[in-house]
Amino acid sequence: MDARITLRVDGRVRPLALDTRTTLLDALRDHLSVTSPKKGCDHGQCGACTVLLDGRRVVSCLILAVTCDGAEVTTAQGLAQEGEPHPVQRAFLEKDAFQCGFCTPGQVCSAVGMLEEVKAGHPSEVTDDLTGPVTLDDEEIRERLSGNLCRCGAYVNIVAALREEAES
Amino acid sequence: MTVWREAVGTPAARVEGPAKVTGRAGYTYDRPVTDPAYAFPVQATIARGRVASIDSAAAAGVEGVLAVVTHRDAARLADTGDAELAVLQSDEVGFRGQFVGVVVAETPQAARYAAGLVRVEYEQRPHDTELRADRPGLYAPEQVNGGFVSDTDEGDVDAAMEAAAVTVDRAYTTPMEFNSPMEPHVSVAVWDPGERAPGGGFAEGARLTLFDSTQGPHVVRSTLAQVFGLPPERVRVISPYVGGGFGSKGMPHAHNVLAALAAWAVPGRPVKLALTRQQMFALAGHRTPTIQRVRLGAGADGRLTAVAHEVVEHTSAIKEFAEQTAVGARMMYAAPNRRTSHRLAALDVPVPSWMRAPGEAPGFFALEVAMDELAQACGLDPIELRARNDPEVDPESGRPWSGRHLVRCLREGAARFGWAERTAPGTRLVGRELVGLGVAASTYPYYRLPGSRAVVEYEGGGRYTVRIGAADIGTGAWTALTQIAADALGCRLRAVRVEIGDSDLPAATVAGGSSGTTSWGSAVVAACRAFRHVYGEQPPAGAEAGADMPDDPDAERFAMHSFGAQFAEVRVDADTGEVRVPRMLGVFSVGRVVNPRTARSQFIGGMTMGLSMALHERGVLDHRTGHVINHDLAEYHIATHADVVDVDAVWLDEEDVHAGPLGARGIGEIGIVGAAAAIANAVHNATGVRVRDLPITPDVLLR
Amino acid sequence: MDFLRPATWEDALAMKAARPDATPIQGGTDVMVEINLDKGRPTALLDLNPVAELSRWSWTAGPAPMLRVGAGVTYTRLIAELGGWLPGLAQASRTVGSPQIRNRGTLVGNLGAASPAGDGHPPLLASGALVEAESVRGTRLIPIGEFYMGVKRNALEGDELIRAVHVPPAAGPQCFAKVGTRNAMVIAVCSFAVALDLRARRAGTGIGSAAPTPRRAHAAEEFLAGELDWDGAGPVDPALARRFGELVAEAAAPIDDVRGRADYRRHALAVMARRALGWAWAEREV
Repeated sequence: MDARITLRVDGRVRPLALDTRTTLLDALRDHLSVTSPKKGCDHGQCGACTVLLDGRRVVSCLILAVTCDGAEVTTAQGLAQEGEPHPVQRAFLEKDAFQCGFCTPGQVCSAVGMLEEVKAGHPSEVTDDLTGPVTLDDEEIRERLSGNLCRCGAYVNIVAALREEAES
Repeated sequence: MTVWREAVGTPAARVEGPAKVTGRAGYTYDRPVTDPAYAFPVQATIARGRVASIDSAAAAGVEGVLAVVTHRDAARLADTGDAELAVLQSDEVGFRGQFVGVVVAETPQAARYAAGLVRVEYEQRPHDTELRADRPGLYAPEQVNGGFVSDTDEGDVDAAMEAAAVTVDRAYTTPMEFNSPMEPHVSVAVWDPGERAPGGGFAEGARLTLFDSTQGPHVVRSTLAQVFGLPPERVRVISPYVGGGFGSKGMPHAHNVLAALAAWAVPGRPVKLALTRQQMFALAGHRTPTIQRVRLGAGADGRLTAVAHEVVEHTSAIKEFAEQTAVGARMMYAAPNRRTSHRLAALDVPVPSWMRAPGEAPGFFALEVAMDELAQACGLDPIELRARNDPEVDPESGRPWSGRHLVRCLREGAARFGWAERTAPGTRLVGRELVGLGVAASTYPYYRLPGSRAVVEYEGGGRYTVRIGAADIGTGAWTALTQIAADALGCRLRAVRVEIGDSDLPAATVAGGSSGTTSWGSAVVAACRAFRHVYGEQPPAGAEAGADMPDDPDAERFAMHSFGAQFAEVRVDADTGEVRVPRMLGVFSVGRVVNPRTARSQFIGGMTMGLSMALHERGVLDHRTGHVINHDLAEYHIATHADVVDVDAVWLDEEDVHAGPLGARGIGEIGIVGAAAAIANAVHNATGVRVRDLPITPDVLLR
Repeated sequence: MDFLRPATWEDALAMKAARPDATPIQGGTDVMVEINLDKGRPTALLDLNPVAELSRWSWTAGPAPMLRVGAGVTYTRLIAELGGWLPGLAQASRTVGSPQIRNRGTLVGNLGAASPAGDGHPPLLASGALVEAESVRGTRLIPIGEFYMGVKRNALEGDELIRAVHVPPAAGPQCFAKVGTRNAMVIAVCSFAVALDLRARRAGTGIGSAAPTPRRAHAAEEFLAGELDWDGAGPVDPALARRFGELVAEAAAPIDDVRGRADYRRHALAVMARRALGWAWAEREV
């Protein structure tokens, strides 16, 4: 059973016809050849498929593409503007915050979404003061990025990369 | 002699870094192929028996399905000697989850849906998946992984234990563990069929191109060429980016063969096969569970008189893989009486394989917790105990060490970590948390594998290309080889481009055994020297020279191992038993470090995996069904951000003059070795509870 | 698999009446896992995302107004917008899955899934929530304690959909605690919620992951109502807190599974209940 939808992916309007069973992740990867979001588990348990959907970070493997008609999708590829890495991507490079790189586009999207959430004052499980602005310390970064697994074990370098972002 | 002047030893950023962080790096499934079809496997739902019947009519009738392939109609393989790779060649089922068929369709959704419609009836036979130390049928393998003998026995361990003033005699266990790289195993098979042989076999003219997520394109090529009966030059394996492997992509597995069989069934179509995360738990290798008995005998001064390490572990009934769990105990400590052994149970389980530091990782959990127990029994500081038993020469071979600096690592680490603050077990309570420090020793052998070759070409304009069919699975090898080539050629880093990840490039050994950078790097050095020897400093554009990795005579004369000291602090909730690890420090002696930036990442990555091994990882086999129950990342836990607080690694500034032209011994695996023991020892220091079974779960810490 | 996309709530109810086999899907974080697992692929999906009104929350009318949280309100919005009134539920919500899951997943979706391990259930039990179920036949309010029928089974009829959940605003301090085998992104080994009602002088409780369904600890609630010195200053009497913990543990019916052992679950529940009571009581003094 096919459906027709339109997505705006990394700034480009992309109409597509797809099987209603298709997830947003598969639509991006198999239909649109947007391969920066990765399939690590297909169950929302690893975060490798994280993209920004209308500005919020989501795991694209748990979303049916047909429910996203008209939505704006930003992937790690789209965060880099005209070949220039996004500041978060630059920080990842500086701190060697990745090894095999497979989880990295998801980590980057998750981090960008996370920084927005902090700016909006969203508390996390480890936030003590639920009323004031959030101070993005290391513990907050770790908690807020825990939806993104990295088997190479780049966690401490990812936190180091985002610590600088948090300070700037 | 090459001068390491500008590039080697500097923290160069990863050459492929920008492609990775911006998502442009194309992993195996991401590679565009024309008009792909998609494969989805059908897996056995019994642990042992045979396929009695298959009804694939419903699956074949699904719109978009191109083929349903089973043992009845799969192309015949030329070599079925490796039962893991003899895919769809018989009706036999050797473990639950084994491939019994594959559906190829126009879309992944259709293939998956149709695979669920294939009805398979089985003739079930009794199966056995449970490892116990007292079970019948345990056997000694002819050799264990790495080519080591299964058993060693020197002196008289029993008499020495009898006579020892202090003894430790304990059993330790580690569970079934899964490599779980973030990128699931993927193969994309493309046939250029040539003439089809009668009977569906592979004719002379056939060519297979496999885009594959692998740690060794050349290994996959040679193995698949043999399996399919093709000359190696008719198989090409391409693998530029690999999303982690940790050993599980070190040798070909059944899915490689299945992808090629599936593609053979749909002539003209490339076929993409990506294992699901769940399928990986049956089909991508795992670390065997182990039951280890360690016996230590010592004088009252802690000097060891006996070391015995006897291991029971499993292998698959269809294919033997014997993890070398006790081998490290042969060289680690000086003791006149030493015994090691491996006993295997051949079970109806998936095929075990390499997982980061096979042998040392589980073996040093047992050995190094036992050493902590001995220190406690002797009333000695664990670092002092290890110092007293540091051997002058390799106890096993009698050879001198090329460089053994374990004690330096331990002392350096003690100073940096604040070891002096360690108190008696169970005495440091901060709030409702028990705090403890632990230490463990670490080691990993120097392997330099023969069989690599590199070629250097001058492109003109000051630019060089170095070609070697190696793999960078996240290790930093790509960058390290670029640095090595730059210094060996005497040019700037940015003047060198290294090509890897393709079996059309010169031969390279597997990215395994922490041997990649040393083996490939030696070949690169040799090729660069050959190039300069022939062409000098002013080569013409297009000039090209190559060389094989030279022999390594010192490897026969010296005992060559890396060493390390692992430190951990734990905090245990006194009421719930929950364990946190706020700090880990590793101090390593590995010879020369080619790239401190990527080396540190490797060390802390290994230590992080060791933390995960200590606290989280445990595959649970349901012995009634032979099924790994927790076969996903929600239930098979690996450490996440919140579990990993402060993990740091440093190393001694040194080179190993016996370790080839680079003086480097390899760094990929040592980070995991001893890490779990350090945490277990810290847990003992915090709580007074001795944990001998991994993972350490809260329930065992409540008394 | 059919894909049904109602534009309005009335359409949704009509579709559900015609297709009781259809599985409603909102954020998808539960349903999609089942689908991607090939486990019981539903014959039809009823996509409630287009029904805009579901993503709103409001106050109910009447003398004791409750927060009516629409089926489309995500955990992230619940935390940000309702955390002041529903601190226990917000605290539990902050531990659900990962931030990515919370940006899509909804409390009502997890109610529909009725997993015994769902983090949202204990605080709903503790605060005495009501489930607003609706069908073409009409609307009913199901007390939360009667909603969970078994492992992943709930009290909905085949033609019913959950429109919203009604949650009383906190009438005192609330606290949620959870034990897991990883520090984040973890399914609870067991969890516990307590809600103190300082006006009515009673406490609500909720236990997760320690019985076939989420459940209350009735004896523990009665014990607190009777024995707690509601006017007292200073911390909770340690003996009373311990007894409360024991009663909570006794109310559980845990099993051994991959995540934990039954005896550990009981022990951890007793600890969590004791601590949660202490923390909640301390908050009262702030």
